[in-house]
Amino acid sequence: MSEQFRPNIVAFLCNWCTYAGADLAGTSRVQYPANVKIIRVMCSGRVNPLYVVNALQQGADGVIISGCHPGDCHYMEGNFYARRRLKLLKELLEFTGVDPRRFTMSWVSASEGHKWKEVVEKAVEDVRAAGPFDQFQRRQIGW
Amino acid sequence: MSAKLLHKEKWSEFTGRLSGKNLWAPAVQGEVKKFVPVAEGETVSLEGGNTTVPPKALIFPQTETLYRFSRGEEEPEPPAIDEEMVLLGVRPCDARAMALVEKLFRWDFDDPYYLKRRELTTLIGLACNEPEINCFCPSVGGSPASTEGLDILMTDLGESYLLEVLTDKGKAIAGAVEDLLEEAPAEALKQKEKLAEEALAGIKWSVDPEGIPEALPQLWEDPLWERVSAPCLGCGICTYLCPTCYCFDIQDEVEGSAGRRCRSWDSCMFAEYTVHTSGHNPRPSRRERTRNRINHKYSYFVDKFGEIACVGCGRCSSLCPVNIDLIDILRQVKAAQ
Amino acid sequence: MDLDKLRKTAAEIVSRDDVKYLIGWRRGTFGYRVSPHFVRDAAGADELIFSPLCISNLANYLTLVEKLPVPRGQEPDTRKVALMVKGCDSRAVAQLLAEKGIKREEVVVVGLPCPGMIDRKLLAEKYPETEQAAEIRWRGEDFVLVDGEEETVIPRAEVLAEKCRLCRHPNPVLSDVTVGEPVEPWAAAEDSGVAEIMAKNAEERWAYWEEQFSKCIRCYSCKNACPLCYCEDCILDRLDPIWVNRSVNFSENTAFHLARAFHLAGRCIECGECERVCPAGIPLGKLNRMLAQTVREEYEFEPGLDPEAEPFQASYKPDDPEEFIL
Repeated sequence: MSEQFRPNIVAFLCNWCTYAGADLAGTSRVQYPANVKIIRVMCSGRVNPLYVVNALQQGADGVIISGCHPGDCHYMEGNFYARRRLKLLKELLEFTGVDPRRFTMSWVSASEGHKWKEVVEKAVEDVRAAGPFDQFQRRQIGW
Repeated sequence: MSAKLLHKEKWSEFTGRLSGKNLWAPAVQGEVKKFVPVAEGETVSLEGGNTTVPPKALIFPQTETLYRFSRGEEEPEPPAIDEEMVLLGVRPCDARAMALVEKLFRWDFDDPYYLKRRELTTLIGLACNEPEINCFCPSVGGSPASTEGLDILMTDLGESYLLEVLTDKGKAIAGAVEDLLEEAPAEALKQKEKLAEEALAGIKWSVDPEGIPEALPQLWEDPLWERVSAPCLGCGICTYLCPTCYCFDIQDEVEGSAGRRCRSWDSCMFAEYTVHTSGHNPRPSRRERTRNRINHKYSYFVDKFGEIACVGCGRCSSLCPVNIDLIDILRQVKAAQ
Repeated sequence: MDLDKLRKTAAEIVSRDDVKYLIGWRRGTFGYRVSPHFVRDAAGADELIFSPLCISNLANYLTLVEKLPVPRGQEPDTRKVALMVKGCDSRAVAQLLAEKGIKREEVVVVGLPCPGMIDRKLLAEKYPETEQAAEIRWRGEDFVLVDGEEETVIPRAEVLAEKCRLCRHPNPVLSDVTVGEPVEPWAAAEDSGVAEIMAKNAEERWAYWEEQFSKCIRCYSCKNACPLCYCEDCILDRLDPIWVNRSVNFSENTAFHLARAFHLAGRCIECGECERVCPAGIPLGKLNRMLAQTVREEYEFEPGLDPEAEPFQASYKPDDPEEFIL
């Protein structure tokens, strides 16, 4: 089962740090799992928690949100808001029975191509261990 | 019409036998009572009052796929509606409501989804021996033992159930369990009449609807609407759980290259219900929405179909979280006249 | 509770030129029902009550009232709205002020110290409702059901509402006028509802909420009864982009309830209205209280106590917890 299961992970990356970090990982030819579908947003603080819920509804098995390290935000404080907000979302998802391994949040700067690789590897490993998440998918339920 | 008697010791066999026919019956789940499928061999209890969710939800589901479509396919696929269904323990008011709602679904267009389901459904009713607090069916032309819309009417006689078989669909059901039934003696019918009279006498609320349909258009700007709508939360309880409310909204739900068109219940108590594309809302506040709800039931439907679109089940009054009471509104309408 | 004093105070307030109306409670039309009562003149004040059945939070009417365009040539009505509040309700007002959802000069707050409210459903299980509107009073710790000459004492523990068992703020946190003496706060009970779920594993939690959310009929009474759900442009009404589909099934219901609970995180003042009005009996309060507990314990923040406080999700501290972040 775990051999066939390829986790489908949606990653919301901040334009200024993690997206550039992931780009650096690419240009540095760092190898990392191809399970991640990246969506670039301007700031981790722009990630509406409903994006996460919606991604899970549309078939994601896990979600990564990544932004600049605290203090490095291009908009000064966006990631501080994200930190509070997404902590609450994480708690809420856990409380309703979503496996916490499906939710990964990280700080990856533009120079941390290797850290990005580690984050993805860990997320893929975690989601693989948690298994496919189809209990919540629109198509599985409503259609 | 024929009248049969079913002894209660045969009740579990009766329901067990019917459970093979896609049988649905009321069951309590937490705080909610609603119709649920009865598994084969399972027994059913008809104790207690009416369901929170009216049986309309089975014939007119809250969300229903009209058809599915996908890119590259020319013909959309409507879902097949071909399963027969038997509802056991439908209250006379809810059955009457189905007869009223059917008028709408047969009006300028024959709604294939509703009508097909209705056709495939057999309604076995249960007369109300003990009306609930907010029941007022006699005021709007019903009665606790009304047969309108039903295929079989059952009455609880204590030791047994009296089954009045009213239609061919009812006959088919009675035929399938013929060996469990016996001819009803004349006393049973008399006892039923007596119970029906007692039930009628047990109904607490009444309002004479005479004159209300005519009065409503004249009370369009009356301050009473402001008054009765002030506590309204604008939620959908009174309409979603009303057996005669039938408004729906059609939407496409698309994901990738495939999707479906579906209709879901809608409520005139929601602000979004009437909002135009421009942003203008002709019913801008709860005052207009409440006025519409009452007008629709007690005036517009009367104009169109000659009957009041309310069966007096009392759900809206019982379930409203802020005690907006239909009887109270109707009395105020009469007083303002 | 001295009803005469309450009515007299209310009559004085509504007689003021700068007050539009006062919102309080009146006896319902049957059983244990109580209806919000909009007092527009001194005479209307005679119908006001304050009893253990006045559980509803009236603060939602501050934002529920539609702001209709003022016809040309007319001046907008800027008169104040007077509102009766219990401890929990006053926190809703404080939170609305903190969020600048309302302005202080728009409201007159009539504070009512609250000895605890009855859960109507618990009461009706033991003493079935009748077509008569019942009268219930406080007596010492307990409640008394009054029927003419006949009085039935109902022990507090039997029918006290859950939110009142957990209450930490029975006295209004802000008010312009207070009627009645402050009550001694009681020891808040352990939130067993939340703890029970916390004790479950992920699969059991999912199964629990799957059962609960599947019951939802999406009537939105939880959203409309909430004094802090007042966005004029709600994501649930949006069609483009559509966040939550209109279809009613477990997936969309869950998305809706997660969105609703999340939008109240750090804002919910635990008045329990969402749970009370739910016709399907979904324990929505548990979601809100879990988040409130997290905010209280990990961020040392409690909403609705200080009308000047910065809203939780619109502020941060540099040393907020981040052990979950890689």
